[in-house]
Amino acid sequence: MARLPNVRLELGNRPENVLLVRETLTGVAESVGLDGGDLSDVRTAVTEACNNVVLHAYPGGGGPLEVDVDVSPGSLTVVVRDHGVGIGARAPGRPDDVAEGGIGLPVIEALSHTVEFAETPGGGTEVRMAFATPGVRGLESTAAIPGGTGEGGGAGLEALGPSFASVTIAPVLLARAVVPRLLCVLAARAHFSTDRISDSQLLADALVAHASGAIAGSHMRLIVNVEPRDLELQVGPLITGRAEGLVLDSGLEGLGSVLEKLADGHGVSSADSHDTLTLTLRDRAQTA
Amino acid sequence: MCSTEQRTEEMVIASVATAKPKSRALPPTNDDSAELFARWQEERDDAAREQLLQRFMPLARSLARRYDRSSEPYEDLVQVASLGLLKALDRFDASRGPSFASFAIPNILGEVRRYFRDSGWSLHVPRGDKERALKVRDAQEAFANEHGHAPTANQLAQYLELEVEQVIDALLAIQAYESLSLDAPRPGAEEEAITYGDSVGKEDERYELIELDATVVAVLDQIPPREREILRMRFVEGLTQTQIAARVGVSQMQVSRLLRGSLDQLRALTQDREAGH
Repeated sequence: MARLPNVRLELGNRPENVLLVRETLTGVAESVGLDGGDLSDVRTAVTEACNNVVLHAYPGGGGPLEVDVDVSPGSLTVVVRDHGVGIGARAPGRPDDVAEGGIGLPVIEALSHTVEFAETPGGGTEVRMAFATPGVRGLESTAAIPGGTGEGGGAGLEALGPSFASVTIAPVLLARAVVPRLLCVLAARAHFSTDRISDSQLLADALVAHASGAIAGSHMRLIVNVEPRDLELQVGPLITGRAEGLVLDSGLEGLGSVLEKLADGHGVSSADSHDTLTLTLRDRAQTA
Repeated sequence: MCSTEQRTEEMVIASVATAKPKSRALPPTNDDSAELFARWQEERDDAAREQLLQRFMPLARSLARRYDRSSEPYEDLVQVASLGLLKALDRFDASRGPSFASFAIPNILGEVRRYFRDSGWSLHVPRGDKERALKVRDAQEAFANEHGHAPTANQLAQYLELEVEQVIDALLAIQAYESLSLDAPRPGAEEEAITYGDSVGKEDERYELIELDATVVAVLDQIPPREREILRMRFVEGLTQTQIAARVGVSQMQVSRLLRGSLDQLRALTQDREAGH
């Protein structure tokens, strides 16, 4: 099994999902000391690559937009992947005459250290961008986890509604900065009030803070399904029997279980020898 | 099968079309341009240079707009980008290299990037961002006072004539700002608190903390009284952040920030206690 990147986003190729990618990069920058100017370069280049998938990877339809982010000392690698229209024999060349073509690729080339184009296994396009980012600290290494999240992790996402997001992330340091940002964006998308948007962030904070001991393997995977005024979070893979404990662990004496109080409900399911904790968040205040 | 070139071409057209309905594709570097380049570079014909500048300005504008959806004023960036374009016009060697555009793009971007870094943008929160965040905060409060509940990001966007994305950015950014400008109760906050407090209910006497015992008090006691009170209102009384904001006389954004901070602090203290003794 291939090694998992520090962050893997699995999204639909919808225009609004590019914001999730951008916020993920901002969160990563925050936690590893990426310089603001470098972050602008990375965000701009990655946005171009994502927009390309949004607009052109699936002519007349939709499909997955996958983004991997990997951090190592002094560099950042971002892969933007789709399973749609391939770039055929052109990779890794570049259009000779950008004036006749577009400016997306030249922008990526101008802002990244290296860029490679490849065909996604099974069809589609993969744009791999490396950025030289001198200020960036390395992260503790992460390993692939058998039986947990991994290749083919996209399976089952189709069963969700049209608006979902999945993030697979390690280590906790990154999750702490990235997951609350993602939930803020998704809560806003679910038409939550600012009260509940903030609550979603508080819930993300609690989840990340208490989950590390309960995760089966290295990476936490969070799948969020977005419906109007309704977010459903699936957190896994959890060590069997630890899901309820996670809710209790989030208890701060004197205040009770933070997760339980912020969420409108929770449940536990078991599959493939691990547990998944499901949390629902609603915004009831404005149902008028 | 669609080639990369086609895909990116459509991409440019589509994104230009969304942002500026009038302009279409990028200008081609055709024979006509080659002739203009010859007139400018060999004969120093200013009219030719001017024509080239006009021809490639959409490219400069497009790049200015693309660079990190900048919070710098767009017009300033266009200026910087056009400076990059001028330099590229002067340096371009038409006899070598592929097209002018592929030569110009990194040059123009280079100018924009330099401008960002030189203006200290990477070190400070841009003023525009901060002002926007404060506007979002005030609009949140005004809306809550008028409607009795907090607005959604869409409602704020509509109210402030911003994009939803900008509102979300502001909501995220506001937490990073130092308390300086946010912490102080603003004039009028107290009167608002009273009107709002009425709809909330006035029974704020005593709520027992759950399972209060000696060790607990030790941890919770290390949180400043106001933060402790806010935690209690949210997690024991079950008030919304907007209700708490009205009672305490700060903005909901500030309540959000204080809650995040003190929950973090509580977790760290609890962890220390468990690890320590």
